[in-house]
Amino acid sequence: MKKVLASALSVLVMLGALAGCQQDKKAAPSAKPTESGASSAAKKDAVNLTIWYENDQKIGDALQAQLNDLSPDVKVTVQRKDKMTDSLKLVGNDPQSAPDMFFFAHDKTGLYAEMGILAPITDFISKDSLSDFIPMTLSAGTYKDTLYQLPIYFETQMFMYNKKLMSTPPKTTDDLLKFAQSNTKNGTYGFVEQHSTAYYAVSWIHAFGGYIIDKDAKPGLNLQGTVDSLKYHKQFVKYQPSDGDYNTMTALFKEGKAASTINLPNLAVDAKKAGIDVGFAPLPTVNSTGKQLSPYAGIQGVYVLKSSESGKKEAITSVLKALMKPEVGVAMSKITNDAPANNKAYSDASVSSNEIVMNLKNSADTVVPMSNVPAMDVMWSVTENMLSTVNKKGADPTTEAAKAQKNALSQIADMK
Amino acid sequence: MKYRKRIGLFFLNIFFILICLLCLIPVLYALGISLNGHNDLLSSNVSLIPQNVTFDNYRCVLFEKPFFLWFKNSLILSAFTVLISILVAVPGAYALSRKRFRGRKMILNLLILLNAFPAILSMFAVYRILKPLGLINSFTGLILIYIGTMAIFGLWNMKGYFDTIPEEIEEAGEIDGAGDFQLIWKIVLPLARPSIIVTAVMILIYVWNEYIFAVTFITSSGKYTLAAGLYALQATDYTRNWPVFSAASLLVSIPVLVIFFCIQRYMTSGLTAGGVKE
Amino acid sequence: MKKKSCRPYLYLAPSIAVIGLIVIFPILYTGYISLTNMNIYHWFHPEFVGLQNYAKAIFVFDSGFLSALLRTVLWTGINMVLQMVVAYIIAVLLNTEGLRAHKFYKTILMFPWAMPGYVSILLWKMGMFNNEYGLLNQWLGKLGLNGVRWLDGNVSAFLSCTMVNLWLALPFMIMIIDGALQSVDKSYYESATLDGAGFFTKLGKITIPLVRPVIAPAVVITIFTTFKQFDIVYLLTQQQGSKTGADIHTVITYTYEKAFVTNNYGYSAAVSVLIFLLLILFSMFTNKELKEGYR
Repeated sequence: MKKVLASALSVLVMLGALAGCQQDKKAAPSAKPTESGASSAAKKDAVNLTIWYENDQKIGDALQAQLNDLSPDVKVTVQRKDKMTDSLKLVGNDPQSAPDMFFFAHDKTGLYAEMGILAPITDFISKDSLSDFIPMTLSAGTYKDTLYQLPIYFETQMFMYNKKLMSTPPKTTDDLLKFAQSNTKNGTYGFVEQHSTAYYAVSWIHAFGGYIIDKDAKPGLNLQGTVDSLKYHKQFVKYQPSDGDYNTMTALFKEGKAASTINLPNLAVDAKKAGIDVGFAPLPTVNSTGKQLSPYAGIQGVYVLKSSESGKKEAITSVLKALMKPEVGVAMSKITNDAPANNKAYSDASVSSNEIVMNLKNSADTVVPMSNVPAMDVMWSVTENMLSTVNKKGADPTTEAAKAQKNALSQIADMK
Repeated sequence: MKYRKRIGLFFLNIFFILICLLCLIPVLYALGISLNGHNDLLSSNVSLIPQNVTFDNYRCVLFEKPFFLWFKNSLILSAFTVLISILVAVPGAYALSRKRFRGRKMILNLLILLNAFPAILSMFAVYRILKPLGLINSFTGLILIYIGTMAIFGLWNMKGYFDTIPEEIEEAGEIDGAGDFQLIWKIVLPLARPSIIVTAVMILIYVWNEYIFAVTFITSSGKYTLAAGLYALQATDYTRNWPVFSAASLLVSIPVLVIFFCIQRYMTSGLTAGGVKE
Repeated sequence: MKKKSCRPYLYLAPSIAVIGLIVIFPILYTGYISLTNMNIYHWFHPEFVGLQNYAKAIFVFDSGFLSALLRTVLWTGINMVLQMVVAYIIAVLLNTEGLRAHKFYKTILMFPWAMPGYVSILLWKMGMFNNEYGLLNQWLGKLGLNGVRWLDGNVSAFLSCTMVNLWLALPFMIMIIDGALQSVDKSYYESATLDGAGFFTKLGKITIPLVRPVIAPAVVITIFTTFKQFDIVYLLTQQQGSKTGADIHTVITYTYEKAFVTNNYGYSAAVSVLIFLLLILFSMFTNKELKEGYR
């Protein structure tokens, strides 16, 4: 009797679990809204494509709007996916769960290419058809001589200043330092930046002839140029908030408490909205080397996944062709204030009259695309450890640089 | 004596009001930002009391985002997870507390030690197991993950409480001819109510706040839970809208608090003074 | 008596099944991965490489790891003692007879727990600790004091993280202890009062001994969670893009930065397994609490 009861209980538990499963399926009838909806609505030869992205919703909506014209032959769903980089590692080679394409910055190109989940976009479109594109944006998405990314727009840091607090922007870094020295007091700052962040500090490193990592995945943290930049740049940190945090820096600039900064275009937009009279100037030149600060550029564009190549080739080609059009760059730059990758987009008045976009475009020759080798993934954290110990704890640049280089080399070795 | 007691209670109340305020500081800060008109998390004039009070951010969360859909998803997920978890764990905990069988100590030992595993890489393994079952992008898959994650806590926590219930009570029942199922249902459950509620609340809050699995395994934001939706709201540093984000995080936590408040009167034990003697 | 023998297993079967699927399988799988060369160069078709990854993983246990380990032990100790003491006091006081608003207080005290952890950590980081704009420094400023760089120095960052951890973990502890207090038979107190026992005698002689076995499992689990704490330390001091310069790595954040960022899963899995073994070894020596739960 007891045995019967006990087994009845456990069966009950199991049933409960099963019932739970069934009921929650009923409760969520929208399990596969895109697929089921599309297959019944569209004609039988329609091809469904999914594009993932992780940026702001507005960007995805703009992309979607550009691709709606392809229906009914090709039905594209631009879908926002949080934690996209992790998800791609999980599902990258599984056609059922993975998207067909995704939209992302170029710096993970090498990583995904080595993992073997990317199809070269030259499988779909010829290289010659990309002759209108800014060369820098094409080299960014090229890994081991293969082009994996169709660039759409790029962004980079620019020097911006508050016209009320700074009358003439400095041409050299020495001038900038002098300005910072004499204008930093009582909670206002002459110049602020994210001084201990690899992405921002790298423009100084470049100007001194150093680099974080080169094309052959060799880290350059202990190069003379890198060490020199650390030593020189340290002087600026004294006149800035110590944390160098993105939120702090942007808040100071938007509140009119920082006269100048180096940052991404969207800060300029926000600051303008906050009532700041924002001016733009070329990045200053380092006196001792005569080189201009040259920041990293991030190129946003579309990738194709290898797993969906078969059977959907034509549809993917048509999507890529649609995204190559200058109109796409124009539409995107209206939202992001970033610079289109397609040169033809600049003949559009809304682009050529946009001060921010044109500033970005003009810097295209001096900026350095972020490295896209897989080893770049470990460099961020190593470099930032070096920067923060030098800038925030007053450690010696030479020893820290040597230590960081050693760490970088061992971590790159650990990747294999 | 009574007078002294009242003075004591007065100071105790003061003490708790202070503790509560201390505990609420970051929450009040979030409230301050969420009622503020500007998109400023950081500003020299942000204080706990906002200057121009606006409910725009709340309106935005409630009506411009699929808040109620996410809320519904959270409710469904947590209700099923809590229910099934308890159904699964109560008999298990009962067996561990009352029965002596071979492997019991080993199981108890193992369950605790499993907690020592750094689960950073588990995502991949869980994917491997859900994928062939077709449970990716489904609530069932998530519920399974949540039940599994919380099962050890449930077993141990309730087992510990069951241990405190005098066996004499059950023995009396056993003589009356009650089976295990009846014993659990009629005697153990009412007596162990506090621990069952503690376990249930723990599971509820875990499910309510879990976002890593939800965000990774759910593809469409239409099936997001509140926590996952909240995560999606703050996408990147650059686009994060702090006032809306603060408003959303407060809205996400309020249902849990309401449930918690309501459930508290069941937290007192059915174990009355001298219950054994009766 | 013999008839009963298989029933406990039957009762446990559903629990063991889900735990096996969601907890044990990932551990075994990680063990398997640790024997392969699963890295970005062999992502979807890893090969068996034997103990190669372990040979490499041993090097993670360098001087940096040792100091992280010591710090983690210290961190776990301080946090657990603080949590237990404060939660005990609050839970006992909440159960004072005649405290009418206790439900209200309890609910308020649960608030930190009702928000996703990363949200509250972000709030603490930006709202409380920020050097320029944080509430703490604004208040110090109003008192005419200089601001403190909370998260930059090792000691202050450690204390700040402890504070946040305490804030986040207290609700759970209060709840566990509060629940356990319900199991104490009130008649013990009555007879103790008749014997003339004071508040502390009752606490030491009745409450703590009776409550201890009930909360032991939750405490042991919390010890492990605290030991493996990642979010607080990482988000407050090590987050990419806003490292504060403080070096208060715990075992997990240290290995995360050393191993997990490499995208080499075989290698990372080996590190995970070694930490797992280390923790088990560690708990065998120290966990007396564990044994109390067996009765």
